[in-house]
Amino acid sequence: MERITIKKGHDIHMSGVPAKNIESASHPTVVAYQPEEFRYTKPKLLVQEGDSVKIGTPLFFDKCMPNVKWASIGGGKISAIHYGYRRVIEKIIIELDKNEEAVEYTVFDHHEISDLSKTKVKDHLLATGLWPMIRQRPYSKIANPEDTPHSIFISCYNSAPLTVDLDVALRNRSSSFQAGITALSKLTDGNVHVVVDEKCTSNTFMDLKNTEIHMIRGPHPAGNVGIQIHHIDPLKPGKVVWTVNAQHVVTIGRLFLKGIFDPSLIISVGGSGVKNPTHLKSRIGASINTLTTDRLHDGPQRLISGDVLTGKTNDKNGFIHFYESTVSVIPHSDKRAFLGMLHPGSGKTHYSLTNTYFSFGANSFPFSTLSNGEGRAMMPINSWENVLPMDILPNQLYRAILANDVEEMEQLGLIECDEEDFALCSFACPSKIDVGSVIRQGLDVLEEEEKQ
Amino acid sequence: MKFLRKILDNLEPKFTKGGPLEKFHAVFNAADTILFSTDEKTESGPHIRDSIDNKRIMILVVVALIPCYIFGAINIGFQSSQFSGIERSGWENFWFGFGVILPILITAFATGGFWEVLFAVIRKHSISEGFLVTSALIPLVMPPTIPLWQVAAATTFGVVIGKEIFGGVGMNIFNPALVARAFIFFAYPSQISGDKVWLKVDGASGATALAIPAAVENGNAVDLLSKITQFDYTWSNMFWGYIPGSIGETNKLLIILGILFLLFTKIANWRVIVGALVGLVGTAMLTNIMAPLSSNTMLTLPPHYHLVMGGFLFGLAFMATEPVTGAHTDKGRWIFGILFGSLTVIIRSINPAYPEGAMLAILLMNAFAPLIDYYVVQSNIKRRMARYAAE
Repeated sequence: MERITIKKGHDIHMSGVPAKNIESASHPTVVAYQPEEFRYTKPKLLVQEGDSVKIGTPLFFDKCMPNVKWASIGGGKISAIHYGYRRVIEKIIIELDKNEEAVEYTVFDHHEISDLSKTKVKDHLLATGLWPMIRQRPYSKIANPEDTPHSIFISCYNSAPLTVDLDVALRNRSSSFQAGITALSKLTDGNVHVVVDEKCTSNTFMDLKNTEIHMIRGPHPAGNVGIQIHHIDPLKPGKVVWTVNAQHVVTIGRLFLKGIFDPSLIISVGGSGVKNPTHLKSRIGASINTLTTDRLHDGPQRLISGDVLTGKTNDKNGFIHFYESTVSVIPHSDKRAFLGMLHPGSGKTHYSLTNTYFSFGANSFPFSTLSNGEGRAMMPINSWENVLPMDILPNQLYRAILANDVEEMEQLGLIECDEEDFALCSFACPSKIDVGSVIRQGLDVLEEEEKQ
Repeated sequence: MKFLRKILDNLEPKFTKGGPLEKFHAVFNAADTILFSTDEKTESGPHIRDSIDNKRIMILVVVALIPCYIFGAINIGFQSSQFSGIERSGWENFWFGFGVILPILITAFATGGFWEVLFAVIRKHSISEGFLVTSALIPLVMPPTIPLWQVAAATTFGVVIGKEIFGGVGMNIFNPALVARAFIFFAYPSQISGDKVWLKVDGASGATALAIPAAVENGNAVDLLSKITQFDYTWSNMFWGYIPGSIGETNKLLIILGILFLLFTKIANWRVIVGALVGLVGTAMLTNIMAPLSSNTMLTLPPHYHLVMGGFLFGLAFMATEPVTGAHTDKGRWIFGILFGSLTVIIRSINPAYPEGAMLAILLMNAFAPLIDYYVVQSNIKRRMARYAAE
């Protein structure tokens, strides 16, 4: 067991932290896929509006990697398919039957899983349509089945604010979790790295086999898989590492152990706009409405599918995204403080990583969607560097991307970076620059170059 | 304040697109956001943001300068009363100095604000709060005797050539306040080269502390300073600031408090400061060792004297630590700081033309900062490429 200490970063102390218990959410009547979130893929439909589907029926596939299919996350009827600009598929909405049917597959026990070959596991995941749960770094895109990854990373530590406490979510699921890890370990010649928060002592993680366990200590973004890869098995051009969300590992495990695709998912609902923040037992692609009914405070709110740093703006009629397991709710605020820039500041009105306000030690802060400032040219007071625990020069990398200097982007290590690892930089930036989206812009350029 | 808010809300349509005063939107926006913090909301990415913004950073630098202004006013009154023999109380000294500083301050703010607004309107960017710091710094590095037209000319040069032609705050390569100082330094050398003191008394003259050892050969700098009777040039008095000099740079205690404040708020970077002190003390010790080999009296000046003389500490606190024009990497900041301290001593001691070296040292380092960063970035790249090639 290896210990890693992360020094740079910051745990944002937000109010509305989900309680450490699991309640059951009201049963959803609709669930949805939002294929736009699968970056660098070209989804092509296999079903039409009105078709009946079972849980596990393939709904669409990727034109670039035709054997990658997406299994239906619900049993019922395709009630609507929404298209966006240039016929991009925005949403595939499935109206659920009372008694959902599921496609059934071969059942394996733990021993049989460990005896499976690499091709067998791969073909099984591709055939069942669960392959999209495996993503690769660089680029955070769906793994190419033709690749052999150097290693596979599973982060069991969600350090972003208001996210699912995986110790809570994976409790009593260790058998499926183990089965998932065993299956995934077949796909790589290297290790399956499971990274656990040092404070967590649960034996869900301590007794795992077929894996290398790492204890990580430190503030957010220590739980981000990108940071963990950087410290354990750093990327370089040509090297590919795969990652799977911890809860998806359980789903994969259940697929092998029970022979069905079980789309259930523990989702955290939190933020200062929520009355009783908690963990909910719900499912992949659940509608935001079923997760937030009777839980919202009055007044204008922003509903976010994902955490407050990297999530996407959503609304009551929206759906939680495939890779997300958090719904954050923060209020809109129109408050304009008179001479706000001269305000001495307090833990209740201002929250800052710098000591520019008297707000040190604010330990539960009601954030709103206020940007707290206007966009300006960059002000290099190390606000980015102090929250990025990577051997990367964010300021110079940002400029190389803006200048579209591909060679310099590569030299400065863009290939090791991902949008979500830079979210905290944008949070802390006094010039209110969205660093993450620029990192993504650079990754898009590199991905395009790689194809050619 | 609802009343004021209402006025601003009513005025807003005039300045938005299609309104009669559309061109001056930047001016309205500046007034609006200075009076009331912005209600802009996050769009995507991080949905929540830290409370810090550029306005806060700039206003805190200005706050750190206020003690220097107050002491500067007292000192102007004190120096002139000493020289002219008029007895005044502390308050009277303050008001005398206040009367001297206020026109300079107003001129600097009016000129700086004018150019900032002009460029913002023509180039359609928002008015940057950076001009607050520039305009607040300029009077502090000027002598109290400066004619107001020179203040206006210097501010114009500093803001336009030092900042706006590069694209405004955040894109400039030289510190605008120092560019302004350098402008009058070179444009009017007979009045401001740093060898003669400036007193707000007609016909007063005398030598600055730094000019005294520079003028004598084969002497001991500390002895020479202690023999001066016209001013009290002992170490402790130079530390407490009751000496003639530019308006804001004399009291070293207040400047050190300013440094500590900027460090505490995490606006200044400690690497620059520690580096500069190391560079200054190290180089001064080196010149002390070399002193017997030369007839140059300045070489005998001990490090702790270098620290309290001239504008070094003021430049260190408020100009060398400026994030935009300094080095942008942590290693670069060390090099930047050390070379700044070192160059200050070298220019003071070895250069025969200028008794004061801090201003030129910072401007030189501003020019070299991108080069320093280039090498730091290259070493980062080299390390990464070595790792990519290994394994």
